[in-house]
Amino acid sequence: MPASAAPAPLSRRRLLQVSVASAAVIALGIHAPEAHADPPPQREGLFSLGVASGAPRPDGAVLWTRLAPEPLAEDGHGGMDLHPLSVRWHVARDAEFRQIVARGQALAQPELAHAVHPRVEGLEPATDYFYRFSVGRQTSPVGRLRTLPAEGADADSFSVGVVSCQAWYHGHFTAHKHLAAEEDLDLVVFVGDYIYEYGITETNLWRQGAEVGPAHAVEIETLEQYRLRYALFKSDPHLQAVHARVPAVVVWDDHEVQNNYKGDVSDTGIPDDLFAHRIAVAYRAFYENMPLDIEALPEGPDTDITTGFDVGSLARFSMLDSRQFRDQLPVDAEDQYREERTILGMEQEAWVTQRLAESPATWNVLANGVVVAAVTEGHTDMWDGYPAARQRLLDAMATSQNPVMLTGDIHKHVAAELLADFTDPGRGNVGVELVCTSVGSDGDGAKTNPNAGVWTQHDYIKLYDGRRGYVHVRLTPQEMVSSFYVVDWIEADDTAPKQLTARFTTPAGDPHLIPS
Amino acid sequence: MSPRPETVTGLHTEPALASTVLTWDALGWDPLIDHYRIYGIAGDSAPSGDPREDDLLAKTVYPRFVHDGLDPAGEAWTYRVLAVSDAGRRAKPSAPITGTSLPSVTATGREIATIGAFDGRTLEHLLAPSGYASIPEQYPEALIEFVQGADDPGSDWPYLLPGPGDAWAGKKAYRARWTVTLEGAPAQDHDLAVWLVDTTRLGGILRVSANGEVVTDIELPRGATRGSREGDATLPGSTLLRSFHEPAIPAGLLQAGENVIELELAEGGWVAWDAVGLFARE
Repeated sequence: MPASAAPAPLSRRRLLQVSVASAAVIALGIHAPEAHADPPPQREGLFSLGVASGAPRPDGAVLWTRLAPEPLAEDGHGGMDLHPLSVRWHVARDAEFRQIVARGQALAQPELAHAVHPRVEGLEPATDYFYRFSVGRQTSPVGRLRTLPAEGADADSFSVGVVSCQAWYHGHFTAHKHLAAEEDLDLVVFVGDYIYEYGITETNLWRQGAEVGPAHAVEIETLEQYRLRYALFKSDPHLQAVHARVPAVVVWDDHEVQNNYKGDVSDTGIPDDLFAHRIAVAYRAFYENMPLDIEALPEGPDTDITTGFDVGSLARFSMLDSRQFRDQLPVDAEDQYREERTILGMEQEAWVTQRLAESPATWNVLANGVVVAAVTEGHTDMWDGYPAARQRLLDAMATSQNPVMLTGDIHKHVAAELLADFTDPGRGNVGVELVCTSVGSDGDGAKTNPNAGVWTQHDYIKLYDGRRGYVHVRLTPQEMVSSFYVVDWIEADDTAPKQLTARFTTPAGDPHLIPS
Repeated sequence: MSPRPETVTGLHTEPALASTVLTWDALGWDPLIDHYRIYGIAGDSAPSGDPREDDLLAKTVYPRFVHDGLDPAGEAWTYRVLAVSDAGRRAKPSAPITGTSLPSVTATGREIATIGAFDGRTLEHLLAPSGYASIPEQYPEALIEFVQGADDPGSDWPYLLPGPGDAWAGKKAYRARWTVTLEGAPAQDHDLAVWLVDTTRLGGILRVSANGEVVTDIELPRGATRGSREGDATLPGSTLLRSFHEPAIPAGLLQAGENVIELELAEGGWVAWDAVGLFARE
């Protein structure tokens, strides 16, 4: 047991960037040893939105919960009084919490929708832990996490679940139910569209047995509406089970703000100076509801959700933001192929290029919101709309060992081999891309559809399946095994069994998808 | 505890057809503003004291609110706005401001002919609310012809007029040719009411001609690009972006007998019709 297991000190550099009032709020939501807010009598069900961990490191992780005795309260505050409340947390080696190794206290405050983000440090690497929160006599569900291997250490294996596109109203989260039951799982990667902004009405509420009130029927735009939307989605028990099962890392796509927005530009004609206000509240709600480090807390409409971490010497993960910094739709073909055109922004490009070039890891895993593989020029919302930027990324991937891209967005399972240059197939492969289908979006779906040929026309596309599901990825020093699971229905109920629709082996040093 | 939001200042009203555009100075990012609450009462004065929740017109994250659906004859309202912070703290309400919407020719003029109802919906038109894909098949020449008195909006006037920005419609400048018969040559200018339920992100130009003479180019605003699939802008929370245009048609361009008014989507993407009408001035 490490004697130093303790809450994380705050980043002074980060706190100096924000105003005094905000800094105090942020700080207390992470670490508040002297918290004065004795819990008054509280309503039951404070932990209705479950628990989560994220931002894993060899010595700890961020722990998360958001107090909400009435999660669907329309003001977005979850039924909480608009006052701060002390939340205690404990980390133990055992599920019964007999061997507590770290403890601390944070302040749940109305400024952050009573969410807390304490970071626990000082834990042992590559070790299983249990954590929980408490307020007064109420105790949260127990979450589990496994710390990452020590820097540079060997790791026999590391297993990841990949999920995306959680249109709660289109069906049950059966995929999450099965993912949470995976025995071999160290991390879950959300690759975008954790929520959807659309109004939920009788025309798109396909989740049988579910009902929502009129407050959910309109497209969301205010902070209270984004908070309410996260609460609705996160009320799902299977999603909560996934979060409680393993740490989560997250990138976003467009629906965390608005369909097809690009950079600071709305897709529905909202002037940029107005749209900035919506981005600001959407990004804030994202931080509030995810187990993220303080760096992801926005300042107005600006934030940084890019992050990276190493799994010993086995893998390096780089989480990319393919939405906030992208150029606008091309005005013509010449513009589409313009060399300076960017989807990540030049600063992020430089960051990931350096991470890849300097990586000592056997596997270099990237995650982003939209498909990288070349499919058709018409897919301008994907990397097809940014071919020069794609080539730069592929060139950067080629400097690293065994690059793998994890993607979502399209509501289909797709497995693709990434060519070193999609205009010159003779140069061979540089890596692979695993595109995860949706958890909920588009309802039941079907294995194929009339649009499948757009994808399967390419030899380097090895799988297309339009049903709901998740991807399980197991990394070892010798190989990567990617398993694509589907369920046949989600609209009627959550009882569909999982099916393995495809499994590929990618040997280390051989960037191909070999059916297995 | 973060500070209480500041009181909203800088309120300004911009009169518009059947609507009033209310803007104010945006507050900063700290505290983050959850939303602004807009209170309004009909008339040109507001009672003292805090606004009543019964008078809440809308909540918005933007420092701008379009109060639409007002009486086409023009309506005065008095508004106050207050901000709510991320912590749920409410600011003091702003000082009141009164705005009066512009009267529309649909209320002030004498109706000569109309296609559809001026009601914020496309629903009475052909193929509404989402059958746009059939428009290129039914109108391969990109020409829609409608004869007043003989044709019907539900069978002869498709709810969208596509433009050269619409690849699904062949990237053509569609024309809607409307034939209206007048008993006599008008002595006074008339007014053409063109009410749109939505436009596309491309915006564009809607060219208006009368009997072969170009009258004006209506500059189309960037819209929500959703009116091709949704037909009712009056539903609560609708994101459709309505626009209203009422150019004059000079009397000299009109004649006794048949007149042809043509609406050509010369640039940009489609428009979704609410209604079109020709009105004489009283």
